[in-house]
Formats: sequence, C-alpha cells, structure tokens
Amino acid sequence: MGEIELPSNVSVTSASAINEFIKNSPLQKIVNWGRKNSLWFMTHPMGCCGIEQICVGVAHYDTDRFGIIPRCSPRQADVMMISGYVSKKYLPALQRVWDQMLEPRWILMMGECAISGGPWWESYSTVTHLDEIFPVDIYIPGCPPRPEALLQGFIELQKKIVAEQDRTVIPNPADGGE
Amino acid sequence: MGDEKIDKTIMIELSNTFKDAVSDVDVPSPNRAVARIDPGKVKEIMQFLLDNGFDHLSCVSGVDYPPDKMDVVYHVTSYSAPLVITLKASLPRDDPNIDSLCGIYWNANWYERETYELYGIKFNDCPYMKVLLLIEEMEGEWPLRKDYAGYPDLT
Repeated sequence: MGEIELPSNVSVTSASAINEFIKNSPLQKIVNWGRKNSLWFMTHPMGCCGIEQICVGVAHYDTDRFGIIPRCSPRQADVMMISGYVSKKYLPALQRVWDQMLEPRWILMMGECAISGGPWWESYSTVTHLDEIFPVDIYIPGCPPRPEALLQGFIELQKKIVAEQDRTVIPNPADGGE
Repeated sequence: MGDEKIDKTIMIELSNTFKDAVSDVDVPSPNRAVARIDPGKVKEIMQFLLDNGFDHLSCVSGVDYPPDKMDVVYHVTSYSAPLVITLKASLPRDDPNIDSLCGIYWNANWYERETYELYGIKFNDCPYMKVLLLIEEMEGEWPLRKDYAGYPDLT
C-alpha cells in the first residue's frame, strides 16, 4: 500500500487492529466455517497419484457437497496437493506455484512419494523431507491413496480448520503481504 | 517386411569394411546383433550403418566399469527391418570422450547430453554439451557412476 496523506484530525483503525479483533472474537468462527466449506483445490497432478486426484474431482465422488471444487489455476485455489515425488529440478516450479496461491492456503501431502520420497528415497535427484519446506497440514498415505482416502484427508483438514489447529498463516494486511 | 537386404549379414559387411575397428561380433538371435567398436571410428561406422538402411538411432547409454573402463552403448535399428544392432565402445575412465553423432543421426543430441550428465562422458563436437534433465548445479557429479556418493538418504 502506498503512502496516503491524512488530515491531522482524522484517525483510522489500522487493518491489523481489525484483524486482531476478528481473530479474538466469535466472528473468526464464522470465517473459519466459510473457509472450511470452500476448500477449492488446484488440479496439479504430479505423478501417478494425480490420477486419483483427478478422480476425486469428477461427479462420482461429488465433492461439491463438502465445498471441494477443482480449480485449474493456483490463483483461484485454497489447497495444493503435493501428489508425487519432487525432483530437484521441479522444486523451484512447485515453490512458485505455492507462492502464487492466495492466503489462507493449505497443503495436503498425498502418497508415499510426496511424504517421504517413496521408492526414490535414495535417489540422487529426489527432494525428501518436503514438510520442512512447505507447511503441511495433512498426510494421506497410500501408493496411491484411494479417492475415499483423499476425501477423508479433506474432511480431516476441515476439522483442523474448525479447531484452529491448521498451519496456515493468516496474513496481516498491515504487513503489506509477505 | 520392406527391404530384404537389411538383415544380419550387415554384420559381416561391417566387420569386412572395418577390419580393425570392429571386434567380438555376435549374433545371438535373429533380431539381435552385438559388436565392439573402436571409439575413434564411431562416426565412420555409424555413417556406414545409416547408408545401409539403419536409419534409427534408438538409444545411447553408458556403463561404468571401475576402476579404469567406461562403455558407451549404441542401439541402432531400422524402420524397415526387425534387427537391433548393439555397438559398444570402451573408453578410458579418467578421460572418457568420443565423437558426437549429431551430424549423422539428428536425435543423438539429447541422448548424448543425458549420457554426459549421468556419466561424464564427453561427446566431442556435440553442439550443446550441457545437462539436459538434471539441475545445472549437479553438472560434474555424474550420479550414475559407481563411485557416486551424493545419495541423500542411505538406508
């Protein structure tokens, strides 16, 4: 935000004060209720787990009833699923996609490869310990996990959001972004 | 089956044409032929194969034999005959370099770059001898060599 000249007799409530007020009031529960019921996820298949990820988005599992909708752009999404092994070459691109997402945002780790490296644990080009790089909320084990498991992961994430135990960083507008 | 002339008799022609450069010729099955070649003559041999109907360089790969040897393995096939020729060239392990085939088979470029980044085998006159799939910081680590020690999580 740029500098705005204010007359000396006018005082404004700062955005951070409003933010703090909402956080400590019951209003935050309503905000969280809205957030947990609109978990739009980014269609970002990274490996064979991506097949299951695409399956979750189709009509058979009807994720709309939980407010879970696939989106095709990181700028419209709230949830990123890391759904495959991440090579050293791919990590910068993944970080860039993550940086493009608007806060609040969450990460689901999907499948053994994302969680630990899976069969590529010892590989020369795989990045392991991804949870030290990204704030991961939910781990969904499986190789690959079934779509039902993925839905279960989303529901667990909703429970975490309601309980305010999720790891998302709610931005303070007064900080001007990062 | 296309050109009747393209069959394993190419190996006899090959060893007759390049008497000094081709050795250990073996034809283990009707579809397979193996030979060792002199790395200095690789361009002439490949040009000979291309002129005789072997128009597809299927694969270029490497094998590490520590402590002193390193192989480059070429698989050459034909679109009109069911025969795969495997050619192996031995290089010294401390300075492995061999002539590039980019002027003969256009698709050799990426194969050679991948062999380069994984084994450190230099292909002379390759137009862009840089890493292809690895990150650039890993150039010089040669991860598929037997003595590579950069694995992150040894179990």
